[in-house]
Amino acid sequence: MIPAHMTVLILVFTIEVTATVVGQLLVKHAMEGSRTVGFTHPRILKLFAGGVGALTISFFLTIALLQHFDLSVFYPIQGSTVVIITLAAVIFLRERLTPQLLIGALLISAGIVLVSLS
Amino acid sequence: MDRARQRSANPWLVLVFEVVFVTASETLLKVGASKTARVAGWEWTGLLALGSIWIWCAIGLIVLSFLCWIYVLRYIPLSIAFPLSNVVHVLIPLNCWIFLGEHISPQRWCGIAIVILGLAMVAKPVAKIEEQL
Repeated sequence: MIPAHMTVLILVFTIEVTATVVGQLLVKHAMEGSRTVGFTHPRILKLFAGGVGALTISFFLTIALLQHFDLSVFYPIQGSTVVIITLAAVIFLRERLTPQLLIGALLISAGIVLVSLS
Repeated sequence: MDRARQRSANPWLVLVFEVVFVTASETLLKVGASKTARVAGWEWTGLLALGSIWIWCAIGLIVLSFLCWIYVLRYIPLSIAFPLSNVVHVLIPLNCWIFLGEHISPQRWCGIAIVILGLAMVAKPVAKIEEQL
């Protein structure tokens, strides 16, 4: 059986990672749009506010995780966000994915895991 | 006409500032988070950390880094800027090694080398993108 604190840990990590990915995508989308219609366009402001909201949630959850969980657990999952955000940007924002970019992102994630486990 | 051409600061330089601010704030966050007390039932929100001056310094740096970050995102694709921003995972251990005298194990040095290799692979096509801008 999974201990209760593990369930909380997994839940908080999941929300933290999801909030980070969604926040980064929304902010990027807003800034991309601001280049053509300007930053004060209502649609851009809504996207930006949503992104900042999501990143704020992820920020406080990061503090919570730093307070209560071992860094060796926290950082490998932080590392995985590199690959997740790169792929999410390709899927949702139609950015270009090259084999080199994918391998580079995977190496960065792998390196972060190795740094945090030692 | 794309407003991107009207930029006043080099987004790659701003990315460097962003990374420096994040490195400093992460260090302060760790100091502040370690010092704040635990109250049963509320610790998971992280809100109690607001009682620490270090946390407020860290928040200030995070605001600065975020301003840099949104400027970066205006010009650089997220799929390139985000992996590159992870150079903080090289800078933070080096920061601890140089300034705090912390020990870095051989395995950790390998991890740092792999991150640098990954960063180089992501950054290599950047020269081509910059030519197109």
